[in-house]
Amino acid sequence: MPVDAISLEVFKNMFISVSEEMGVALQRTSYSTNMKERQDFSCALFNPAAEMVAQAAHQPVHLGAMPASVQAALQTFPRGLRPGDIVILNDPYMGGSHLPDITLVAPAYIDGDDGKRLIGYVSNRGHHSDVGGMAPGSMPLSTELYQEGLIIPPLKLSRGGRINQEVIALICRNSRTPEDRQGDLAAQIASIRVGDKRLTEIAQRYGLDETLEHMDALLDYSERLTRRRITEIPDGTYNVTDYMDDDGLTEEPVRISVAVTVDGDRMKIDFTGTADQRPGCINAPRAVTVSASLYVVRCVVGDEAPANQGCLRPVEVITPRGSLVDPLPQRGVAGGNVETSQRITDVLLAAMSQALPDRIPASSQGTMNNMIIGGHDISRDKPYVYYETIGGGMGARPDKDGVSGIHTHMTNTMNTPVEALEFAFPLRLRRYALRRGSGGDGLHRGGDGLIRDVEFLSPARVTVLSERRRYAPPGYHGGHHGEHGENVLLKGGYEEVHLAGKETLDVEAGDVLSIRTPGGGGWGAPTHDHGHHH
Amino acid sequence: MATTVVGIDVGGTFTDIAVLRDGILSVHKLPSTPADPSVGITAGVRDTGVDVDGADFIHGSTVATNALLEGKGGRTALVTTLGFEDVLEIGRQNRADLYDLSMERPEPLAPWQLRFGLPERIDYTGTILDDLTPESIDALVGLLGEADVDGVAVSFLFSFLNPVHEEILAERLAGLPNRPFISISSRILPEFREYERTSTVVVNSYVGPVMARYLTQLESVLGHGLRIMQSSGGSITASLAADQPVRTILSGPAGGVVGAFYTGVQAGYPDIITLDMGGTSTDVSLCPGRIKETTSANLGGYPVSVPMIEIHTVGAGGGSIARVDAGGALVVGPQSAGADPGPACYGKGDRITVTDANLTLGRLRSDGFLGGRMTLDQDRSQELMTDLASGISASATDTALGIIRVVNSNMERAIRAISLERGYDPREFTLVPFGGAGPMHACELAAELSIPRVLVPGHPGILSALGVAIADVVKDYSRTVMLRGEDLDKARLEEEFHGMEQLARAELVEEGLPADSMVPRRFLDVRYVGQSFELTVDCPSLTGRGELTRSIASEFYAAHLQRFGYADRALPVEVVNLRLKLELAVDKPILEPAPDSGSDASHAAVGNVDVVFAEGAMNTTLYDRDRLQTGNRIAGPALLLQLDTTIVVPPEWAGEVDPYGNLLLEPVVEAA
Repeated sequence: MPVDAISLEVFKNMFISVSEEMGVALQRTSYSTNMKERQDFSCALFNPAAEMVAQAAHQPVHLGAMPASVQAALQTFPRGLRPGDIVILNDPYMGGSHLPDITLVAPAYIDGDDGKRLIGYVSNRGHHSDVGGMAPGSMPLSTELYQEGLIIPPLKLSRGGRINQEVIALICRNSRTPEDRQGDLAAQIASIRVGDKRLTEIAQRYGLDETLEHMDALLDYSERLTRRRITEIPDGTYNVTDYMDDDGLTEEPVRISVAVTVDGDRMKIDFTGTADQRPGCINAPRAVTVSASLYVVRCVVGDEAPANQGCLRPVEVITPRGSLVDPLPQRGVAGGNVETSQRITDVLLAAMSQALPDRIPASSQGTMNNMIIGGHDISRDKPYVYYETIGGGMGARPDKDGVSGIHTHMTNTMNTPVEALEFAFPLRLRRYALRRGSGGDGLHRGGDGLIRDVEFLSPARVTVLSERRRYAPPGYHGGHHGEHGENVLLKGGYEEVHLAGKETLDVEAGDVLSIRTPGGGGWGAPTHDHGHHH
Repeated sequence: MATTVVGIDVGGTFTDIAVLRDGILSVHKLPSTPADPSVGITAGVRDTGVDVDGADFIHGSTVATNALLEGKGGRTALVTTLGFEDVLEIGRQNRADLYDLSMERPEPLAPWQLRFGLPERIDYTGTILDDLTPESIDALVGLLGEADVDGVAVSFLFSFLNPVHEEILAERLAGLPNRPFISISSRILPEFREYERTSTVVVNSYVGPVMARYLTQLESVLGHGLRIMQSSGGSITASLAADQPVRTILSGPAGGVVGAFYTGVQAGYPDIITLDMGGTSTDVSLCPGRIKETTSANLGGYPVSVPMIEIHTVGAGGGSIARVDAGGALVVGPQSAGADPGPACYGKGDRITVTDANLTLGRLRSDGFLGGRMTLDQDRSQELMTDLASGISASATDTALGIIRVVNSNMERAIRAISLERGYDPREFTLVPFGGAGPMHACELAAELSIPRVLVPGHPGILSALGVAIADVVKDYSRTVMLRGEDLDKARLEEEFHGMEQLARAELVEEGLPADSMVPRRFLDVRYVGQSFELTVDCPSLTGRGELTRSIASEFYAAHLQRFGYADRALPVEVVNLRLKLELAVDKPILEPAPDSGSDASHAAVGNVDVVFAEGAMNTTLYDRDRLQTGNRIAGPALLLQLDTTIVVPPEWAGEVDPYGNLLLEPVVEAA
């Protein structure tokens, strides 16, 4: 059967369901709260040329960055991956994003007349709540990568179907929560096997050539849809510069500049002018920057296209080597994936807003408000690490208000239920509420941020990685900015100590950490009769 | 129980009534009266000639569902622990679509002005940290009095471990002058995870006033023998349904699954996958020798965590619209032409749908629709199909075949999600299609999934009413305990279960049910320590000598292996929830197997037509299904016409009528 309008749709369904089935297997079998309850993982399918063909709708920040993982695996093993091989990696400078994100890559083969033939690759990436390093949660305020945890260059976790248990032992020994690592890695392996099996079944049922042709056709299809929509954007160059609060070490603002050029059915995203790489941990490896770009392209012009690498073909991303958005090896990157990626998104959307003023929302909270808590749980007599990212205000839209208390852009993790949290950790939630009035006023209001107050029942070490604590999310077209976020420690439950946006600190039993997340920017000048009803 | 049992299933178009009198089944179908469903029900019951005083009525109601989905519930307040008033709005802080810049969240059913926090706190051991004070209750009662609400929901943190604060508050709220509908979370859903629990109890309060009004009206017509179908497939008394309407929120599709499962068991195939294909969507459910339940359903964006039959819905139906998108792919659904304007062949709409494709291929007869009550406009379908085909440079016939293939691939994904993704192999199941369009697609869908056979019930169109009529009375109770290690002992579990059973029996007596005849069944929700998904397993004997933790773990490992393909026997487990089911079996129809009338089906053949299959146009025999008798064999290609559906038997498929009037279809196996 040649590729036609019908088979394209049928194969699209099949490829997407491979990645979805991988995701179901991963979530259901994973062990840690972070993967199971918060769903901080992603799964995708690749063709033999390592182009991403299909993904399940998981975490945007992972998905655009995963092609680099497959490429790194193939570069490391230039003679190719054999049936039953699984490559594991987390090195941000060799296919990874930041160290807690561990990625598995495996080939899928089909038996043919002339031996086994490659169908493509399956891959998943999960955020492990601790891979060692200088602070619990492995997202410290570091000055070099080595402080952030165990670095895993691409290496074979499985050879010919045999799992190398020594690799797993090494990873577990380097983690503060080895049981969770063991369980989560087993889940990632199970998910890879599901993907391998399903992709092989498709090739067996429809034939290898047809499967490969449809992979390519699906990439072409997304490319076609994306090009068509890019032509609808007015040609021109749209420049935006914005500043991140700091890199966690100094108070110096960090510049992100972008020039987005639309020319016919092509788009160029040029980060020239962006600050040099920083001593602190907010550097975003190029894969992360590309991922943020893919996200924006897809939001703005790809509403019908299946999210795959075809969407990026009409888009050129230029990142100066040695800059914040393409650092040189061994710079710290813990916050690049979670914070800088959010800001890159804001900046790109701001540029698109110049071209498409009536389609693009104002700035959203622009941070993931990472809160990482670790310590020894006395009542349960074991170490624990608890990682949470906290939603905030979505920017107002040209036709309606922004949503309150929600994750925007590069993340979509769920929260840990209060009762699940208290059953599991020596923590007590004092408040989990909307931060009323924090959304920017405007013709349409920005969404409100959140307040999450955590009381410590035993001593702990806390790292907060957050942005928009100094520079508030701007409103667009006359809309007011949203409130900037605040991190406050209530010593003994009452004495207020204001914390920086990025900080590691030791807390005592009875202390309360209050994270107040930014509101979204407003859209359009507020009209007189528009009440502050929230 | 009365000897006459009447099942009433009210759908958007038809009200179906199944009457079981002394074990004999009769069926009735009449138009629904959406403005007031009880009008249609009253008329229908009159038609059946049933003596209202001597009958039990079981009703599958969509009143609660519609109130929720159409936003027509009552004005609802929510009372929570201070500091957690917004949990209902925040939800799990994630968004349904990653890339949709204009996404919206469903409006919270209790608006922020009507959400109140009271200072009180209970911890994860059930210990009270902060008392609920009379002063704060007084203040709340004052505010609620002014707010003029129809319903109030109460959900305090950890109330499932210690309900005392909720109980105290409920007592005071009962005294509010305008008598709002009160629900408290420790009674509706005493389980952990505050958002899902709070959402469930708010939905209950939101639809409560509407449901209570409706049931009062219906009882005035049908008397007090009225029971209501629950989403779990069991029925409850009307008084309990009025109190806990959230349990009935998906009772419509539940009836179909109960009916299909009953049909499968009777025919000797207890492992089934149901396929209920309607106009806008298709419901599929997998029954591995039993009807599977879930407690993590979501309706219109609102989580509802009471037990429900595990049903997966996909936006693919007879009315799903086909179009060519900007990238050149043929896309079908999820947009639907619905009943109005309906498919192009209905004569109003100008969008090609799945029904038009079936008509173009000759699989649907333009004169045989709804038993000839409606004529379809074949020329209109053909003309619009040709337009669509020109967009992809294909023939109208190939385009119609393509539409069927694409919509089948959408349904295939849904069946994969409930089978392969859950550790079940479709090759071990029988597909049971019903609803208007299911039997047209079932064989081809079965072939794609290697499902070895298709069982078409005798009356696919009234299967839900039958399911409702035969639904057992079931009461569900649950309680989060979170026990592991030394805390997990037999005495503790027995004490907890005993407490639940005492409470259950008291309630049953109050509802007028024969508490002593009801059979209790105990289950445990178990997980690996610290994990966040539970599996439900049978509770081992609490009186025997076996080691409790080991028996529980062994049940859990087996379930985990089945579901996920592996089980780590070294890891410790914990018991999260206790579940108690009390069941009272109701009479089932006594169906005498019909004698074999021989394989010849020629007496039922009513003509020959050309029908297009993947192999091309083929001369196809038409049969009148009502004339087929037990033992008659049909060879594909064939079309079987009946009042409410058409059965498509493709080439290389053959079927036989079983002793109960079901049609069993299987692929023809080439002789070796």
